[in-house]
Amino acid sequence: MVDGKNRSLFKDKPIKILLAKPGIDGHDRGVFVLAKAFRDAGMEVLYAGLLPTPEEVVDTAVNEDVDVVALSLLNGAHMTVFKKVADLMKQRGIDDIALVGGGTIPDEDKPSLEAMGISGNYGPGTPLSVIIEHVTRRAEEARLKKLR
Amino acid sequence: MLSKLYNHTGKAQVIGITGPPGIGKSTLIGNVSSKMADMGHRVAILAIDASSPFTGGSLLGNRIRMQESLSGKNIYMRSLANRGARGGLSESSIGSTAILDAAGFDTIFVETVGAGQADLDVMDLADTTVLVLGPGLGDQVQAIKAGIMEIADLFVINKMDRADSYFAMKDIEDTLAMDDARPFKREVVGTTIKDPTTYQSLIALMAKHGNFMRESGRIGEKRFKMGLRWMLEDELRARVIDPLMKRIPPNSEKKNYYDLMATVGQLFSENLNKVLEKEIV
Repeated sequence: MVDGKNRSLFKDKPIKILLAKPGIDGHDRGVFVLAKAFRDAGMEVLYAGLLPTPEEVVDTAVNEDVDVVALSLLNGAHMTVFKKVADLMKQRGIDDIALVGGGTIPDEDKPSLEAMGISGNYGPGTPLSVIIEHVTRRAEEARLKKLR
Repeated sequence: MLSKLYNHTGKAQVIGITGPPGIGKSTLIGNVSSKMADMGHRVAILAIDASSPFTGGSLLGNRIRMQESLSGKNIYMRSLANRGARGGLSESSIGSTAILDAAGFDTIFVETVGAGQADLDVMDLADTTVLVLGPGLGDQVQAIKAGIMEIADLFVINKMDRADSYFAMKDIEDTLAMDDARPFKREVVGTTIKDPTTYQSLIALMAKHGNFMRESGRIGEKRFKMGLRWMLEDELRARVIDPLMKRIPPNSEKKNYYDLMATVGQLFSENLNKVLEKEIV
């Protein structure tokens, strides 16, 4: 709290990540595994709870000032719901929060998700270390934008 | 920036919500805030969760308990990790409270990390400290213990739908009956999610204590002192203690420590005297 120094902007501040399963999907075992893995990787982890709307996910991400929003769906609606989240972020002019995805996502959908700015899109069986590495990289990009 | 903000603070009632983990603090705050927002209050919530002492990571799980109360209303909520701070708060909680106060929120809830008997920092931050307890946590001896039982201005027995909750309430009532020489008469209220009207009595009690603090001109008083103390401690650590500790060579002999203690101690206390002689305010 020394005057003139804002600790929250320090680069070594832990990464803050929001995990969300927007839309109708109640399978949250996987998201708990990820939550603990991110926690153990030194991140501050939020979980949006079951059945949030895309609007609630974006509201939460903004209010909590997270670095990354990690979206997961196992119900096949990712092309609709992930897109909605990405669109809302664009509408609100948010470019300093990274979006990553995951779940049961067919390979042919991945390029269009990437084009929306939703990277990763890992499926079942992906080693946690791969996911953590990817999230960390995207978080650092987002953090640099916050520091502008 | 914060020092400029302080001119605009002192209007909000800061309510500290403390109590053991899993007793229902977050759920309670969610429900109470939602009712207060309906009544036209602007409510802010700062909820603190523990950071890992090993990795620095944290699972900020408070939000999930109040998610439903947060959408589309006059409520702002922010989760904080305590980042190694002890005492139930995080280092940033004091600055964050000041920002929310200056932003014009009427009520600011600060939820501590699940707290134990000696996690007392919240009493310096909050105008009103609410201790949330529940059935099955202990008998009358627990209820007359020193520490967290003493710092509470109000008591809540949550989960009143559970067996034994009336015994818990009775133990607190008996303890409060022994309160003397307190300017504000402390009370206990039972709450349960099964009967949302129970939250109204809690809201009324919190308002009563808020008025008491306002009338006695003490809103924000402890907080300013705490802010100043934390700022001084921070400055002292950053400018004096940390750099000096770094100047001790690795593997140094005992003699070096004692030399350092002697020279630094003398310099420090001489210069400190100069600082202390200066008049402030």
